[in-house]
Amino acid sequence: MRVRGWFAVLLLAPVLLLTASLYVVPLGVYLVNGFYRFKDGRILREWTLDTYAAFLTDAFSYKIVSTSLLLAAIVTALALLVGYPLAYALHTRVRSARARAVLAVLLFCPLMISVVVRTYGWLILLANKGLVNTTLLRLGVIEQPIRLLFNMQGVVISLTHILLPFAIFPIYSVLGKLDPSLKEAAHDLGAGAWATFWKVTLPLTLPGVASGGVICFTLALSAFVTPQLLGGGRVQVLPLTVYNSTVEINWPEGAVTSVALLALSILAVWAVNRVVRRLPTVA
Amino acid sequence: MAIGAPGARGADLDVQAITKRFGAVVAVDAVSFTVRAGEFFSLLGPSGCGKTTTLRAIGGFETVDAGEILIGGRPMGRLPPNRRETNMVFQRLALFPHYSVFDNVAFGLRMRRLPAAEVGRRVAEALGRVELGDLGARRINELSGGQQQRVALARALVNEPRILLLDEPLSALDLKLRLQMQEELKGLQRSLGTTFIYVTHDQGEALAMSDRIGVMADGRLEQVGAPLEIYERPATRFVAGFIGDANLVEAVVEGIDGDGLVAARVGDARVRARRRGDERAGARLTLCVRPERVRVGRPGGRADGLVGRVEDRAFSGSLVKYRLAVSGLRLHAAVPYAHGTPLFEVGDAVSVGWDGDQAVTVPA
Repeated sequence: MRVRGWFAVLLLAPVLLLTASLYVVPLGVYLVNGFYRFKDGRILREWTLDTYAAFLTDAFSYKIVSTSLLLAAIVTALALLVGYPLAYALHTRVRSARARAVLAVLLFCPLMISVVVRTYGWLILLANKGLVNTTLLRLGVIEQPIRLLFNMQGVVISLTHILLPFAIFPIYSVLGKLDPSLKEAAHDLGAGAWATFWKVTLPLTLPGVASGGVICFTLALSAFVTPQLLGGGRVQVLPLTVYNSTVEINWPEGAVTSVALLALSILAVWAVNRVVRRLPTVA
Repeated sequence: MAIGAPGARGADLDVQAITKRFGAVVAVDAVSFTVRAGEFFSLLGPSGCGKTTTLRAIGGFETVDAGEILIGGRPMGRLPPNRRETNMVFQRLALFPHYSVFDNVAFGLRMRRLPAAEVGRRVAEALGRVELGDLGARRINELSGGQQQRVALARALVNEPRILLLDEPLSALDLKLRLQMQEELKGLQRSLGTTFIYVTHDQGEALAMSDRIGVMADGRLEQVGAPLEIYERPATRFVAGFIGDANLVEAVVEGIDGDGLVAARVGDARVRARRRGDERAGARLTLCVRPERVRVGRPGGRADGLVGRVEDRAFSGSLVKYRLAVSGLRLHAAVPYAHGTPLFEVGDAVSVGWDGDQAVTVPA
């Protein structure tokens, strides 16, 4: 982007200052620790790549990375699978602007509640004697309560719920930009509702799916509170490792893990951008 | 493309008193007309007159509140577009941006699950017909406006519809290209023998291309007829004013002359016009005189009936256009110009008139 004139600089200045002072500088300061040595519970100010070497050769770090990626992938897939039909219904079935506004507020409601409160809410719902298990037991669907807490399931359910709006809104906005006569043209050329969706609507809204997906993926990858409270220590993901290392004053390890997290996020964004750029040619 | 012999199928389209409301607005008001097989039929009118809604109802994109549409004698009812023997060329073209030119044109054939070899053959033929033979692999956004227009046409025609519906397909093109495409469309329609229903707000376009025109205003069909008929015998004031330029003059009938012309008074002057048939002495009506048929001469020259004054003059090469004040009226005249034709100046007194058979009466 080319910034023209001092006025544009002035407009950008607050954001640039905030980003620099609250994000870039602290991140840099923290990441420098990755190149220090950690020995006998103390950080030694001598340059070394040992922490990186240790991270890259330790099987446990790969376990954490794969758990993180798996969690983010499952949550993203679920959010998109649930979110697309919701966005589609919102786009096609809800005609009045008022109803749309109300539904949009309802969808964003979860984001207005503190993550801690929301997570405790899920604790109540998903517990062995919680609402979900009690209902399923009463209906006779299950005979034993299923474990939905302190494992992957609980984290996935809660994260999908909270990330749903981030999946829905990019898809919804792309649906709104779609020329309605494209669907009519497909219909006119003999396609029924189903064929029109698969051949025209879905391919042309993939950019929305991709941007919704990448938002969900990076947010799920960096989620901390939910895996912490609902994972019960069984869901070891990168943000938890960063937190634990930092608390244990092992800043070099925390920094290296942070770099891994950052790299994975950037990689995901980059890969999706690459795919999106090629989307219009996809037949 | 296999072509049924034009005319062999009788009435292709029978629109019977269809009405369509959007809330309190009546977009189409009891419109009826029939179109013969192989005919080029235009629906002409200003924006908001209901022409596009009528077209969309024929294609199955709108359900009518009353009336019925028959295609090939079969009532359409609430049949969706994918089950009608029509195809549409959309105003905004609606080409699939994620498909190549070939895949766009093949879409309809693939929906019918035709074998790939036949799809390939027919798409190539359709692209050849619109002179895009070698552009099949291109993406839509790599084409010019005119080329996109042709793809939209090929995509509809490749399905060999009984009726092709065209919704102002040329409106996005510049004038030169539009004129060229008009000729090509007309030629294509002639050679295919497909029935075309063409919606446009451009009266020149409709006059140049159509076998017959239906003129619409405020949801109603004002007149249906051949271009010449509509130009020479407009059925209503609206049609007279909308098709071509026209001077519309209020007049009172005095009587019928021996030669079958209507004699009428405009202010204190006497003028004449062709009969419609129902004129009676004393009746008020409107005279429609095309500017190119108004004569302008020196005062007291020929007994042309009216006396006026030149208000404005514009010279446009082949024509001299005058704005004339004639006994409280304002008349426009377009006089052919050749070397030596006398020109009148603004403020000049002139005699104004027309041959009786060059004007026509229109209901008031």
